[in-house]
Amino acid sequence: MAKKIRQIAIYGKGGIGKSTTTQNLTAGLAESGKRVMVVGCDPKADSTRLLLGGLAQRTVLDTLREEGEDISLELIMKEGYKHIRCVESGGPEPGVGCAGRGIITSIGLLERLGAYTADLDYVFYDVLGDVVCGGFAMPIREGKAKEIYIVASGEMMALYAANNIAKGIERYAKQGGVRLGGIICNSRNVDRENDLLRAFSEELGTHLVHFIPRDNIVQRAEIRRKTVIDYKPDSNQADEYRALAKRIAENKKFVIPKPMKQERLEEILTEFGLMVEMGDEYAI
Amino acid sequence: MARKKINLKISSVDTREMRLGTITSWDGSASELVDASRYEARGRGRVTGGGEADREGCHGGGKVCRLRELKMPFNQQTMCSHAIVACQLGNLTDCILVEHAPIGCSASNARFNQGFKIGLARRGKPIQSIQIFSTNLKENDMVFGASDRLRQTVRDANERFGPKAIFISMSCSTAIIGEDLDSLAQELETELKIPVVPVYCEGFRSKHWSTGFDASQHGIVRQIVNKNPKKQNDLINIVALWGTDYFTPMLAPLGLRVNYMVDMASFSELRQASEAAATATFCHTLGSYMATALEEYYGVPQIDAPQPFGIAGTDDWLRAVAKAVGKEDIIDDYIESEHRRISPRLEELRKILKGVKGFVSTGSSYAHAMISVIRDLGIEVEGSIVFHHDPVYDAGHENQDTLGHLVRNSGDLAHFTVSQTQQFQFHGLLKRVNPDFIIIRHNGLAPLAAKLGIPSFPMGDEHFPLGYDGIIRTGEALIGILAKKKFNAVLKRHVEIPYTDWWLSQEDQFILAKHPEILDEPDETKTPLGADRSANPIQMDPDDNLSAPEEKLRYA
Repeated sequence: MAKKIRQIAIYGKGGIGKSTTTQNLTAGLAESGKRVMVVGCDPKADSTRLLLGGLAQRTVLDTLREEGEDISLELIMKEGYKHIRCVESGGPEPGVGCAGRGIITSIGLLERLGAYTADLDYVFYDVLGDVVCGGFAMPIREGKAKEIYIVASGEMMALYAANNIAKGIERYAKQGGVRLGGIICNSRNVDRENDLLRAFSEELGTHLVHFIPRDNIVQRAEIRRKTVIDYKPDSNQADEYRALAKRIAENKKFVIPKPMKQERLEEILTEFGLMVEMGDEYAI
Repeated sequence: MARKKINLKISSVDTREMRLGTITSWDGSASELVDASRYEARGRGRVTGGGEADREGCHGGGKVCRLRELKMPFNQQTMCSHAIVACQLGNLTDCILVEHAPIGCSASNARFNQGFKIGLARRGKPIQSIQIFSTNLKENDMVFGASDRLRQTVRDANERFGPKAIFISMSCSTAIIGEDLDSLAQELETELKIPVVPVYCEGFRSKHWSTGFDASQHGIVRQIVNKNPKKQNDLINIVALWGTDYFTPMLAPLGLRVNYMVDMASFSELRQASEAAATATFCHTLGSYMATALEEYYGVPQIDAPQPFGIAGTDDWLRAVAKAVGKEDIIDDYIESEHRRISPRLEELRKILKGVKGFVSTGSSYAHAMISVIRDLGIEVEGSIVFHHDPVYDAGHENQDTLGHLVRNSGDLAHFTVSQTQQFQFHGLLKRVNPDFIIIRHNGLAPLAAKLGIPSFPMGDEHFPLGYDGIIRTGEALIGILAKKKFNAVLKRHVEIPYTDWWLSQEDQFILAKHPEILDEPDETKTPLGADRSANPIQMDPDDNLSAPEEKLRYA
């Protein structure tokens, strides 16, 4: 019997580093010989830049608009680093149309064009900020991604967003097979960030998959339109992403999250935040 | 490599324009459209996928042989796929359709209710009303999501009526807010223990309403038909609408029982579709998808012939049916005796109808059939309007090329137009041919023809002209229709057509496709008769499909 493609959706607050994390992590998987497809589901269409070396990728929706419905897969799918297949859904200009419907349209088209080939080990969906309407939940519908990872940091708004996303996942998980695979911390060098994220993950009923330390090598690689694994394969940061890839590959813990009430979330934040404050005062 | 023509893996149907290269605007002669359609090449491409390995790289909706179409800047009116699903899946006797939509999307249902009841009466089934529910969505449902309302509606419908299956149709609004019909249907199917079928027919997905037929049939073949069929060798599926059962007497001599789908069918009738010996239809526009899906997935062969209308069409169709069910030994005698039987009355009718000029404006492949019927009665047909054109049907079987069959068997038509029931064009297109009567089936066409003094033959019962007897029935009814000419002539003197003099004098009904800038000009400056512009019309060249320069851009 044909093996099952693992379909994974990455969610998280806007600007938290979902695209950077997804690309570095998939580079790690590809490096270990896995066949991967990355589907960018953000109208900004910047989910595959590092994998493609900055090649201007024509988005699915732009192609649809310009070429009509009769398009071939080659027009919208480009191979990047280590044969990772890259697709950008794209979307309308800000302020017009419906970006959520855009995601439904493009994933529907990918299915019809037969993009989900049996040789794939992984499909990753890099999804815009928060789940803002039904369309942005398309990647986690029945038959699509069954695993979700949330990228977060110790910053308050990132955790608010992560908790909100968990609410969306809970809703979908109750109807179908989608599960939360864990939290990925993309560190912002917040005090006691690791502890906070661990506590937060535990409270959600999940686990912290990996803590990616902050390292400016990521930005230096980005300027060169590369993932860290591609840019400096021997660096510590490259190993961090490899470790993340390995943990995701070996992950067995998939849960229906237990999102927190607003009060409880604030309690946790206060608990860790206040202690830091006290520490500061004590130092003075 | 052979590939499946129908993709049942995914729950939403591929649109007609994608599968078949369907167009909705065209004007020229019938033979030009036959040439441009390249049915045979497209049919081969339906199997190969039309890739580069294929000699012509041409498949249904493939770009390589895309049929250039006149790009009109607006549509005056049209139906949509969602309404078609209502008059298909909402017309089952023991299943329910839930329209996941604001109530306006159900506006046609009163009319569909009437059609359903008439259909039931024609087939001798107990009269009942359509079983359609709407989730009746409001502002808050659009904002907060409407899934709970759908669950409630489906549960209520189930509790009150105990249906054998429930279909849920997607509307534009629920498609935009991303309602997850697949998951909801699965969840409700598990809960209610009956098939719950999502149907993706949001109006904006396809430019032609006939995609709604395909969406309905897609759901039936995916989730209703018996997946472990026990063959019934004397059963023939007829994909039909609401027509009288003229198929049974026609097929009884071949020992066949008829299983009509989709309208007025019961759950068990739909379910046994996969068990039939063959699938046929009165109209390939309607039946092509279902027949091909049953052929590919359940090995039920479809009848490789045009449609059973007119003498040549009926001959070819009956021979193909006989071949499919192993009755070739008796078919020639049967056909010959039928010819002999109708011949005397046919000759009389031909004498009566000599010199009469007819016009046909119906759905696409049905029009091809109607033209052959009235031509068999000796009536001249120079013009026709069809509401869309499929350059190929789903199976790509060569003998199903209905337009090609018409032109080869009874000659060309000088004026063959593809236009989606556009009233503003209808006037000029009729005037161009000036017929003595028109055959119609759709709303809104008879009144306009009447104002032009032309009586209409409303073919409400689409099976009326079927087979050999249908030619006679049609001829006899026509005598009555033509008797109304005087009434229409009087009417014409007393009514005004609501268009400007400029438009009424316009010869080219597609001038707006070629020169849309006219729409921005003030009325008084519009060139009479479109003289300057029509002097240099854009030629359609079927061999020049892709190399069309930018100035031909109106043919997209």
